[in-house]
Amino acid sequence: MRDRLGWAVLAAAAAAVPLLTSNTYYLYVAISIGLLTIVTAGLNVLVGLTGQTSLGHAGLYAFGAYTAALCVTRAGMGEWAAIALAIAVTSVVGAAVAAAALRVSGPYLAMVTIAFGLIVEGVLIEWGSVTGGPGGIFNIPKPALRSHYWTVMLAAALALWLTANLRRSTWGRAFLAVKSSEVAAESLGLSSYYVRIIAFTVSAAFAGAAGALFTFLNGYISPDSFTLQTSIVFMLALLFGGLGRIAGPLAGSLALTILPELLTSLLDYRLILYGTLLLVSIYWLPEGVIGALSRGRPRPSPHPALSPKERGRILDPLPHRGREQGEGAAATGGALLTTSGVSLSFGGISALADVSLTVDRRSIHAVIGPNGAGKTSFLNVLSGFYAPAAGEISLDGRSTVGRPPYALARAGIARTFQTAQVFGGLSTWENVAVGVAGPRLGSILGALAGMPRARIREAAIQARGHALLEALGLAEAAAEPAEALAAGLRRTLEIARALATDPLLLMLDEPAAGLSPTEIVALDEQLTGLREHGGPAVILVEHHMDLVMAVSDRITVLDYGRVIADGTPEAVRRDPAVIEAYLGAAP
Amino acid sequence: MYGLVALGYHITWSTSRTMNFSQGHAVMAGAVVAYAVFVALGWPFPLALLVTLAALACFGALVERVAVRPFFLRASPAWLLATIAVGIIAENVAQLTFGKDARAFPSPLMQKPIMVGSAGFYAQELLVPVAGLLLMGLVQLFYHRTPYGKQLKAVAWNPEAAGLMGINIPRAVMASYALSAVLAGVAGVLLAPLLNVSPQMGTIIGLKAFAVAIIGGLTSAPGIVVAGLGYGLVESFTAGYISTRAREIVGFGLVILVLVARPWGLLGEKPSRRV
Repeated sequence: MRDRLGWAVLAAAAAAVPLLTSNTYYLYVAISIGLLTIVTAGLNVLVGLTGQTSLGHAGLYAFGAYTAALCVTRAGMGEWAAIALAIAVTSVVGAAVAAAALRVSGPYLAMVTIAFGLIVEGVLIEWGSVTGGPGGIFNIPKPALRSHYWTVMLAAALALWLTANLRRSTWGRAFLAVKSSEVAAESLGLSSYYVRIIAFTVSAAFAGAAGALFTFLNGYISPDSFTLQTSIVFMLALLFGGLGRIAGPLAGSLALTILPELLTSLLDYRLILYGTLLLVSIYWLPEGVIGALSRGRPRPSPHPALSPKERGRILDPLPHRGREQGEGAAATGGALLTTSGVSLSFGGISALADVSLTVDRRSIHAVIGPNGAGKTSFLNVLSGFYAPAAGEISLDGRSTVGRPPYALARAGIARTFQTAQVFGGLSTWENVAVGVAGPRLGSILGALAGMPRARIREAAIQARGHALLEALGLAEAAAEPAEALAAGLRRTLEIARALATDPLLLMLDEPAAGLSPTEIVALDEQLTGLREHGGPAVILVEHHMDLVMAVSDRITVLDYGRVIADGTPEAVRRDPAVIEAYLGAAP
Repeated sequence: MYGLVALGYHITWSTSRTMNFSQGHAVMAGAVVAYAVFVALGWPFPLALLVTLAALACFGALVERVAVRPFFLRASPAWLLATIAVGIIAENVAQLTFGKDARAFPSPLMQKPIMVGSAGFYAQELLVPVAGLLLMGLVQLFYHRTPYGKQLKAVAWNPEAAGLMGINIPRAVMASYALSAVLAGVAGVLLAPLLNVSPQMGTIIGLKAFAVAIIGGLTSAPGIVVAGLGYGLVESFTAGYISTRAREIVGFGLVILVLVARPWGLLGEKPSRRV
């Protein structure tokens, strides 16, 4: 409620500016704030949500500006058509840059984007016949300042609204999931590469729009406006305002536009000013001005209630693409997963040697062994994180070797991790929602605009997510930030998230580690409950023998990467090789 | 030589998984300080060199203290932006004290070109790669033969275990930053007569060096040395046969090619994923 009031006051203030003053200077400053808001709102999607740093957005901004200018001056297009084309061109360029640059991430990406920005700047200066060289492009027909003011203000409001929608959509959660744990996101079927490319493209489109609007502000553009320093100011405005906060771009843009205007006498010290401001933001304002002003983490509000007609469509199933469910059953009989001769070594040390086993449908198959026996490595091979040196693995009759983790997740393999990897920055229900949606994120445009289709999808996801939380006893913690959960609940959340992908095979890596006795009993009940209700097959890697013996249908024992026993719990318990491996007693 | 500057990225990356994004500004600082003490104050060259390198070691240590240490071990891009912040502050300070214009840096090795056939070059141009290779050799020796170098390697391998063995990690990281800045400073002094000295010279050198580091592989010193030489050759051939302006575009194009084919660099180690 307070938030809404704040936005209303801001809107009123924006509307009041042209009524109160006819001074073009103020309008000009206000328009600059609006433009910076649009760019940083887009940048926020990339940096705030996806966690990737770009210092080349001035290059994308330039693409928008020059495309619009050329459309108008050379092709004689109208303003709106030019803006639309500028956004399209910049999006395509952004996608292309991202496809190359996002092969790497983090610091690499930052440096590659700097290089991109410098190349663009260089081309603008050198390619005089098209870009006008260092002088730029003049005499661009421009609208009256006052009407342009309204255009930019509406566009800035639109930009913030779009990013707010995006944050609470399947895409927004996917972005944050990839930022928080790439590995866990891939285990749910998300390709982090693809997700990041989309984030970059969205931010490029925003920069393109702002660039085009910039063109129509002055009526001329030159390379001076698109330097590395411009990119740094974009980042700075975002950091200062509040990374990942919806209102952050606006706050940062206000500060970063008004401050230099007040300090024009200090022009020579501008870099020092920016550098200091950057350091100050990083040191003392990790969540920016907005974060410092509003205590507590932001919780995305659920979507508004659906109309009865929309509610009727909630039960539309979310079909799994690319998964031929059940068709393998006839071919493989009761076996869901078979491995034969799987080997893996790390720098000459053999981690797995000739591991062959068969996991039946709807069974609980425990994999046990002393520490360092290769159990977790085996799970990593099965889920595609490690490529086996030799051997064959097939799921449902299809080979899985050589397919990336996200493809295997889509094929029906879900897993948890030895150290629980919940998505920080997302609440408990949102963690599960990432699993429910998996790779089926819907249209990014629908997510931005909050279209009815996206809302229906969202309602279906939320309904299923809450049902899962309910079933696993996490309903009370649904709105809690996931990273604040106690260790036991985190593990349960991971299981709920993995189950949310509707897997054929669920792999649990030491789910009982660190749980209290009562929690272990609950886990026992959940696992047997899954089997009784026709749930997925389970591979259970565990040290807690009481649990293993109680729930398992079959047990495989690994030692030094080799299978030393395989059979029913009873048979394994009596196996002399197993007793020797565990107790070291040679009879 | 870019390889020398790029080696600076390698050194800090391998001890701390962070790097100085204003490495180029360290090159600029080296050139500017050398200009100030050698040309402006007229000190003898060996003394001027010594002062320059000492100043650069301080600069590196300062960058580490201000921009890296508070964020070390925190998985955030904060150090990245913080090092950039320090870099742009340094650039502005240089602008205020030195002026915006480029100035020529006199060198006895730039007096008369040596002619080979019709192509002429200056002795200075020869000195740069020779000195560069020599220094790289020294750095390698330091890493593999001295106890202190081995400590830095241990930190690179496993900071936690190295810390438990009594290695002072913050000091090791700071030392790696100082060393990296000194290398950049040497590069600055060597390049100053060729490029002229200006506060703006840093950014592009830093970027090209990063390109070299990516091509060679951040984790591989030999890879970086080879890539540095190769990049220099490709640049001068492009400048000679196509145009000076195509130089950067071809260079950065190469980086993109390498990233697409081998994101971890030509000789770098493929990072294993931790699961």
